[in-house]
Amino acid sequence: MSALLSCTDLTMRFGGLTALDKLNLDVAKGDVLGLVGPNGSGKTTFFNVVTGIYRPSAGTVVFDGQDVTSRTAQEIYRLGIARTFQRSRLCLDLTVFDNVMIGNHKNLDMGIVHNLLARGRFRAECKRNLERVKTLLHGLNPALVKRVGQPVSMLSMIDRRRVEVCRALVSDPVLLFLDEPSAGMTHDETKRLMDEILVLSDGGKNFTVVLIEHEMEVIRRVTNRCVVLNFGRKLCEGDYETVTADPFVKEAYLGTELD
Amino acid sequence: MRHNSSRDLVIPGPAGCALMALALLAWCILFLKAEEQIPILVYMISGCLLVLVAALSDLHKSISATIASNEAAWDGCMIGVMLLLMITFRDDHYTLLLLGTIMAYATAVLGLNVQLGFTGVINFSAASFFGIGCYTAAILGTAGWPSLLCLVMGGVMAALVGCLLLAPVLRTSGHYAALVTMAFALLFRVFLEVSDLLGGPQGVAVPPMQMFGVDFSQAMQLWGSECSFYLRYDIALLILLSLSFAFVRRLERSWIGLSMDAVRSDETASACFGINIAKWKIVAFTLGNLLSGLSGALYGMMLAYISPANYAFADSLIFLSILLLGGIGNSWGVILATVFVVVVPEKFQVIQEYRYLLYAALVLFMIIYRPMGLLPRKVRNYGRLA
Amino acid sequence: MDVILQFCINGLMLGMMYALVAVGFTLFFGVLDVIVFSHGDTVMIGAFAGLSMHWWLELFHPGLAMGWRLLWVLVAAIVAVVVVGVIVARFMIMPLRKAPALNTLLATMMLGTVLRESVRLFFPDGSNPKPFPHLLPDWAWQHGNLTLRFDNVILFLSGALVIVLVYLLINKTRLGMAIRAVAQDEEAAQLMGVNFTMIVLATFALGSAVAAVAGVMNGIYYNEINFGVGLLLGAIGFSASVIGGLGNVYGAIAGGFIFAFLQTLGAVALPFSSAFKDVFAFGVVIIIMALRPTGLIAEPSSQRV
Repeated sequence: MSALLSCTDLTMRFGGLTALDKLNLDVAKGDVLGLVGPNGSGKTTFFNVVTGIYRPSAGTVVFDGQDVTSRTAQEIYRLGIARTFQRSRLCLDLTVFDNVMIGNHKNLDMGIVHNLLARGRFRAECKRNLERVKTLLHGLNPALVKRVGQPVSMLSMIDRRRVEVCRALVSDPVLLFLDEPSAGMTHDETKRLMDEILVLSDGGKNFTVVLIEHEMEVIRRVTNRCVVLNFGRKLCEGDYETVTADPFVKEAYLGTELD
Repeated sequence: MRHNSSRDLVIPGPAGCALMALALLAWCILFLKAEEQIPILVYMISGCLLVLVAALSDLHKSISATIASNEAAWDGCMIGVMLLLMITFRDDHYTLLLLGTIMAYATAVLGLNVQLGFTGVINFSAASFFGIGCYTAAILGTAGWPSLLCLVMGGVMAALVGCLLLAPVLRTSGHYAALVTMAFALLFRVFLEVSDLLGGPQGVAVPPMQMFGVDFSQAMQLWGSECSFYLRYDIALLILLSLSFAFVRRLERSWIGLSMDAVRSDETASACFGINIAKWKIVAFTLGNLLSGLSGALYGMMLAYISPANYAFADSLIFLSILLLGGIGNSWGVILATVFVVVVPEKFQVIQEYRYLLYAALVLFMIIYRPMGLLPRKVRNYGRLA
Repeated sequence: MDVILQFCINGLMLGMMYALVAVGFTLFFGVLDVIVFSHGDTVMIGAFAGLSMHWWLELFHPGLAMGWRLLWVLVAAIVAVVVVGVIVARFMIMPLRKAPALNTLLATMMLGTVLRESVRLFFPDGSNPKPFPHLLPDWAWQHGNLTLRFDNVILFLSGALVIVLVYLLINKTRLGMAIRAVAQDEEAAQLMGVNFTMIVLATFALGSAVAAVAGVMNGIYYNEINFGVGLLLGAIGFSASVIGGLGNVYGAIAGGFIFAFLQTLGAVALPFSSAFKDVFAFGVVIIIMALRPTGLIAEPSSQRV
């Protein structure tokens, strides 16, 4: 089976620091891939390189059969990779609807006539999108539907995460990158959010997920495959049991009480 | 219910808008008619007290609710108020010039609002682009170009000169970006003063607007009475302001405005969702300069004579202050703040001398204690969707 | 040849003044990450404070020797400017630290306007240029068309001395170490027991004192002062510190001389008129920003996504 995303010898250097070191990583369609590793091991850098924020120093990224190595972030989004951020990057003074619509940029008609003159048609498009956003929000948290016109700054942390997930999902991505959705949330909240996302993904039928996560419990419950990074290199990969059997991972994540 | 008592004061619907507009009109006429310092002060203080009462009670909520749900009626009422003011003061050069100044400045600040308020592109040289419009109108008008073309070219020239700054404006951010436009503002003023072709420090005459065979510099007749020649300019400026206002508001309530907001609040996130940051910055910067240039050209024709002193860095700071006072991003706030900033020093001769000091102190106070401005920007309203 | 040499001498003088102003901009940016645009007007306040002291001395101590007079004028300028600088830092800049950068910049611009207008309105006859006393011996060395004025040499050397003192203070004293620590990592410095507020205020005092010297220099060099001089000096100091890369003291000094060089070049080399020298200098600054968006000596950037 050919991989949806396939990275070969991916290397990213910042001055003297090598954040990714000849990383080879494949994501198959339908995967829920967990990306784990200590702080500074290159997980977020991997996301940033693949989504086009950074241009890799060496190596190639192939997505859906196309070489996307030095494409811009805008082009990669249009090809169907959407992401969330480790630190929330919502526009706090804009409404929930506005924020989600930013994620739907590729499906919006940006024409001047459409936006400024044909207001009737514009409002019809707007209404369609509003319904879609409400449906998406309903899938994550029905209570959010009523708050679709409120500024994001009025929402709780977990609801902001949900809005971020909605923003990534609204454009129907092929591949979804989740960068530590649990940051700033309790254990239960993370669990709830991940379950909601997995329901929307429907076993990879709708989209494939790559997840950066520190909570091994979440990794165990939701991923079917894990990749462990350290110093920008792949330490080991496989399912949760295989990975956790690795002595390094045990030491780093599971503490010594399992020894 | 105590809670509702103040709400009942405002009649909902278009009638409420009309009533509020009438009250505003009456107050404006009284205020503008007053010539002695004491009555002016009394009207001013009473106006401020009314606003304060509304702001502290629930009244402002019902007022803004009435306005928001009857937007077209309110817009019409405001245009009507402006027209009635012009007719009331039809033979008063001074007041008509004041109204014209308000409308020209407001148009230019609306342009600044697109740049800074929506897209976050810093521009410390708004007055320079306004001046480019004035000087273009002067030069092309003297060369015999048709007035309407001079007006359009004023905007186009401002936009084109702005394009020269695009490379540094796009590549820099933060304090570095601030320096670029600031350097331009300083450079522009010196350039005007030392260019003999542009009249040097004395400035140049601007030929009057001539349209449909009407010379705008001639007095006009209205219902048998003689009116100030400023009246025609005021009507032209009102048309320009109304069109710009409608344009900027539609821009805000569209996907374009949304993309601009996204660029302002987070460039990295915007890039990850396909938003072309450079494109929207270019569009915003050019549009803003275009509006400044257009209003500058018309205002220059109205003044008939322009000199470099009005296009200094300090004037750009006044434009920015208007935006900040009104509430960054809020178009009605821009209008309110322009009225305040233009009218107050004109009516209070006592403080005329101290106006820069007072503005500066006021804006300083606002930045520290109320950075959102007098009328904070509301969340986006795409129009009736339900 | 003589003409060019003459321009060089003048350029060096201007460069020294700009460098002294730019050092303040870059020091403040270092510790607080803000641009204090009113710094140019602080320079002007220094010159006016010096002038006031001179008037006072003329009234009450008419026979005082020139050297003593200069010293008192300097002391008055430094005290006034340090007081203004510290008050501004404590009650305006520090409360605005968490505000968006644009707000702080605008606030300091407005503050500059307040200072400028206050001098114009409240200083006796403040709206007109004032003759500044000649506090240095006016010997000159003449060679053909070239004039080397002794007072300019003294001004230049004292500017250089101030820069050396700033260098020593920043690199060789405990205070300097604390300033550098705060500039590098404010939180870590606080954890190590550095009193943040005190260090910020000390930095403002230092930058303001340097600005006061620049103000007096400016007055002596041009033989007059004017309430509006601060705006241009501020813009030039800001440009110089940005060209040199914000936060970098040596870059700011270099930036000051670069700006003076550009002005001089504009005055000498432009074919049409030397009046365009400022247009030329600011134009080049804009071009530099287009080519090197974070200054000639780039500021190290760190953005986490």
